[in-house]
Amino acid sequence: MIEPIPPAFFFLFGAVLIPLLKGKIKQGYLLLIPALALIDLLLLKPGTHWVYPFLSYVLVFAQVDRLSIIMGLIFVIIGFLALLYALQVREDGQHVAAFLYVGSSLGVVFAGDFFSLFIFWEIMALTSVLLIWYQREKQSLDAGFRYILMHAFGGACLLAGIVIHYSTQGTLAVGPLGSGLAYMLVLTGFGLNTAFIPLHTWLPDAYPEGTVTGSVFLSVYTTKTGVYVLARCFPGAEGVAIMGGAMAVYGVTFALLQNDVRRLLSYHIVSQVGYMVAGVGIGTELGINGGIGHLFNNILYKALLFMCMGSVIFSTGKRKFTELGGLARKMPITTLTCVIAALSISGAPGFNGFISKGMVISAATEQHNSLLELMLVLASVGTFLSFVKLCYFTFFAKNEAMEAREVPFPMQLAMVLTAFLCVFIGVYPQSLYRLLPFAPVVYHAYAPYHVLGVVQLFLLAGLVFILAKKQFTPHLGIALDFDYFYRLGGRLLLWFCDAALNAGRLGWQERCGRVVKAAVHFSRDPLWLTETAARYVEVRFHQGFALGSKHEIDALRWELKEVLKKRGEAYDENFYRRPIGIGVLLALVFFFILGLIYLKV
Amino acid sequence: MNTLKMIYGLGVVFSILSGFFIRLEHVVFPWHKIPSWEAILGVLGSLLLLVLVKVVGIIVNREEPFYD
Repeated sequence: MIEPIPPAFFFLFGAVLIPLLKGKIKQGYLLLIPALALIDLLLLKPGTHWVYPFLSYVLVFAQVDRLSIIMGLIFVIIGFLALLYALQVREDGQHVAAFLYVGSSLGVVFAGDFFSLFIFWEIMALTSVLLIWYQREKQSLDAGFRYILMHAFGGACLLAGIVIHYSTQGTLAVGPLGSGLAYMLVLTGFGLNTAFIPLHTWLPDAYPEGTVTGSVFLSVYTTKTGVYVLARCFPGAEGVAIMGGAMAVYGVTFALLQNDVRRLLSYHIVSQVGYMVAGVGIGTELGINGGIGHLFNNILYKALLFMCMGSVIFSTGKRKFTELGGLARKMPITTLTCVIAALSISGAPGFNGFISKGMVISAATEQHNSLLELMLVLASVGTFLSFVKLCYFTFFAKNEAMEAREVPFPMQLAMVLTAFLCVFIGVYPQSLYRLLPFAPVVYHAYAPYHVLGVVQLFLLAGLVFILAKKQFTPHLGIALDFDYFYRLGGRLLLWFCDAALNAGRLGWQERCGRVVKAAVHFSRDPLWLTETAARYVEVRFHQGFALGSKHEIDALRWELKEVLKKRGEAYDENFYRRPIGIGVLLALVFFFILGLIYLKV
Repeated sequence: MNTLKMIYGLGVVFSILSGFFIRLEHVVFPWHKIPSWEAILGVLGSLLLLVLVKVVGIIVNREEPFYD
């Protein structure tokens, strides 16, 4: 019997061999590792494995239950598909970063204690930024630095929360937290990765700047591990549910303002993660199942969307709606798979998004949360409009000048396989239900009212799009977000450091320098200094108390000036050094003789 | 193109009419009783988002490059 190991280890240790392999062997190896991890996952049985004592703590690398298994499965499946998509990438560093990123995300999912969770959490942040920096453009480098700064802040909050939690509760086990400061800090740390508003700005800032293949990985792991840990530690938190609704609406509103294809998708990550967060926040069995089911489905269609837009950028070198159009005939596979992904994310019947989105909205309805229900439906309308816009202006709008051809076969295959999974789950939802955390799932996705409702919603929203198409036409320019305030804060901090602190430091340095300079100046002739001081006091004394006539005071002043001119004339340094030197010499001779006498005795 | 538009229009009409016959069994909120409520929501939601996007756009839209 083969004993399973933590799935994270396949990727973390597997990354080491990548630079040593070449050509087809390397390509085979890149696909073999996720395949092995998948087999390993299927062998894992619920329970706790790989408990490792470290100092006075107990680290748990494989806490296995239905929730971690479904997360592990989708992470490994999409890891395989994303690596297939990235197979043509020649840069080993990108593959290594992707492996470490996937491995650390699996590490977070299977971590049974907060300490190992935190370690994997930080590896995730550090390795994901490489997928942005490998783009090797100024915008990518800048966005990567902002990304890592935000995640460093989130990591610090998380660590502080964990320390306080451990010191008050005495346990490191990953699970629901009590109230208080630890609760808030851990929620902030998790919320930053989950793109809580207003901590979400790193996402639409950095994801569009990643490499073509790197952005596919980025779209999957960071935010979804955030949702996962929220489901572990904050199920049923009302504030979390409201945040989910707000994220869903905020994301689509800003998505509709974008001109950059991948920035639009990034805002849709915020929106779609909102559904998952809402499901987790509702906290009922249907809510959690819906949230996690939506996470599973979202990973598939969102990765597919990033693959499709990556293919468009790969083929045309363009990423703005205002520059694109007319690609449907030139890139048919990309167009078809993108339409499937668009229908999936919109939640059209027959596609996977329809199943899980309906579950989350139904959970909000069951909980009598009218505001949340309306927010999520409104976000559904916005999602549909966004993706009509995306498909129309990228593939179907007229653009005769556009030159493009279909992407390499592995990229096409990855897109087709991912699209197949989106349709398969949409048509056969039981395949997803079987994996969800709470079984059995009592939900009828294809109830007639539900299907009709979604059809009506899309047909009428589509009608508005057709009638007001001009209003949805993309424009040049950017849309500011909360990061405007962070950048403003950053500039203020920079100004404070430069203008206030640095200027103060320079001022003090100059003053101290003057004192030192004066001390050096006077120490060269101490006799002259005392004489000058005595003459100066004499002049001041006579002036102050009007002692003597003006002529006498002038004479004293003249004498002071004469003394000032004499500096260094009467003072011979060696004259004063010599007695000291002779004294030291005599002392040494004395001690030498004493030593000789002592030794002889 | 006109045929497509006609099919689309027929689809809209048919779906709205169907809403009068296919109703939600477990009504939770008062608006669930309104026939073809989702159709109304589709129009109102789109218009609301359009207004929202226009208003937010006035505040946040800037020329490129803005931060450099």
